[in-house]
Amino acid sequence: MKVAYIFATQRHNVSYVLAKMILPQLEQDRHGADVVGMFFFEDNNYVLVKGNPIGERLHKVAQQKGMLLMGCDQCCYEREIADKLFDGVPIGCFPDLYKALSGNMPDQVITL
Amino acid sequence: MTATCREPCCTQPTLSVSELFERGFRRSREMPLTVAGEAQINNEGHVARFSLDLAGDRIAQLRFQASPCATLIAYCELIAETLPGSRLDIARALSGADLVQKLPGVPAMKRDRAALAAAALHSALVVASLPRSGDSDESRLHLRHPAA
Repeated sequence: MKVAYIFATQRHNVSYVLAKMILPQLEQDRHGADVVGMFFFEDNNYVLVKGNPIGERLHKVAQQKGMLLMGCDQCCYEREIADKLFDGVPIGCFPDLYKALSGNMPDQVITL
Repeated sequence: MTATCREPCCTQPTLSVSELFERGFRRSREMPLTVAGEAQINNEGHVARFSLDLAGDRIAQLRFQASPCATLIAYCELIAETLPGSRLDIARALSGADLVQKLPGVPAMKRDRAALAAAALHSALVVASLPRSGDSDESRLHLRHPAA
């Protein structure tokens, strides 16, 4: 099964659900689903900024597995980080996300 | 020492993409002004169209309609905020590269929106340069039908 994650809420999502559940499972190839993409809203985008330690691991896994990482463009502009993301990580809105996923469509989109 | 240019295009403060988008989103919902250019479209399907009012040979006011893309709206708003008061010849010289330079913080893969915004502006400026009805250009009298 192919899934895409949308990190829409803040609180404990990146530091806990992503960093302590999803990411270690992906690194060990035991997540149980093919993650084809992740999209980040609001403060969750800070994980995509160059130098972020969780982001470094996530970016490495994404490159290995061909997984899309994308930040919400308005969220990134508002935080003035749009040009500070890991190399090759785009920003965009829904049309960009759908277009980027169209070549590798997920079976499920999971909002966290 | 070289004197600082005091044209409006050179005296505006640096603005952020987010601030420009917020104001541009509201401006893009306003009705077009009297002189409207052709809608311009890029290879991704984004559309932009400028309209303007003139005061002599200067731009009095600018508005635009654009696809709901934050980057494109920010570039269009940058034009709309900085060019009023400028002469048409100065406005014509504005390029997409100028917009990219004036607005830092846009990642490289989104900077092509600047060219679209500039093209939409130039289209409106072409229309603004056309003779308007009521102009007293006597050379055009020869084109009138003799029976008129």
